Amino acid sequence: MSGIVNVLQFAVDGLTQQQQVIANNLANSETPGYTAQDVNFQNSLAQALSNSNGATASVTTTPDSAAPATDGNNVDTGNQMINAEQNTLQYQATVELLNAQFRLVQGSAGGSFS
Amino acid sequence: MSLFGAIGISGSGIDAAQSWINTAAGNIANANDVVPTSQAVYGQETPIFTPQGSLGQVGDGVAVSGYDVADTEGVVEYQPDNPMHDNQGDVRVANIDLGSQMVGLISAQTDYQANASALSHAKQAYQSALTLGS
Repeated sequence: MSGIVNVLQFAVDGLTQQQQVIANNLANSETPGYTAQDVNFQNSLAQALSNSNGATASVTTTPDSAAPATDGNNVDTGNQMINAEQNTLQYQATVELLNAQFRLVQGSAGGSFS
Repeated sequence: MSLFGAIGISGSGIDAAQSWINTAAGNIANANDVVPTSQAVYGQETPIFTPQGSLGQVGDGVAVSGYDVADTEGVVEYQPDNPMHDNQGDVRVANIDLGSQMVGLISAQTDYQANASALSHAKQAYQSALTLGS
């Protein structure tokens, strides 16, 4: 039980960081010389979960390797908007799963399941 | 990482886009400025965007660190009917590139909308987080 909550909590943390990075990329979409940042936690989480000996997952922020425009900026606004949309949906889905877990505990403890 | 950080970051982007729109509006409003040749005329302004926060970490948005003013020499034109003309009948006219200002205005508007959209997405996510445990 607490394992699932921990995994979901890690995902919410990673998504929060990703959301800030997307917001920052969009805020700097016209800044000359700015390099977009990418956040990845899914690979690390998947690896940690598949490791039977237990492992720690981490959130990594890396520079986007896309080729920059003539002003040195490589932010792809369309791409970032798609990422923002995905990020929000993932965030809401993760929070919904967390709530479902809490309802399960609540019901099992004699409270209401809904 | 501050609570609701993405909203502040998007807000800084909206501010920057607004400054850009204001600058373009100022440039267009001064496109027809005329002064005597002995004076400096209005120079086209461009906002300078600077990323905030340190590299390799989640940034802190963007800020307008200043305004680049293009040459104030403008263009000397022959306007003998203008009361400000000099002995040769010349006046100094602002050198505003209207085309680049209009393109900049469209880019600034898109920039503004992108930031507003990111802010609205962040708000949705935060609102769902506030339902946790309820």
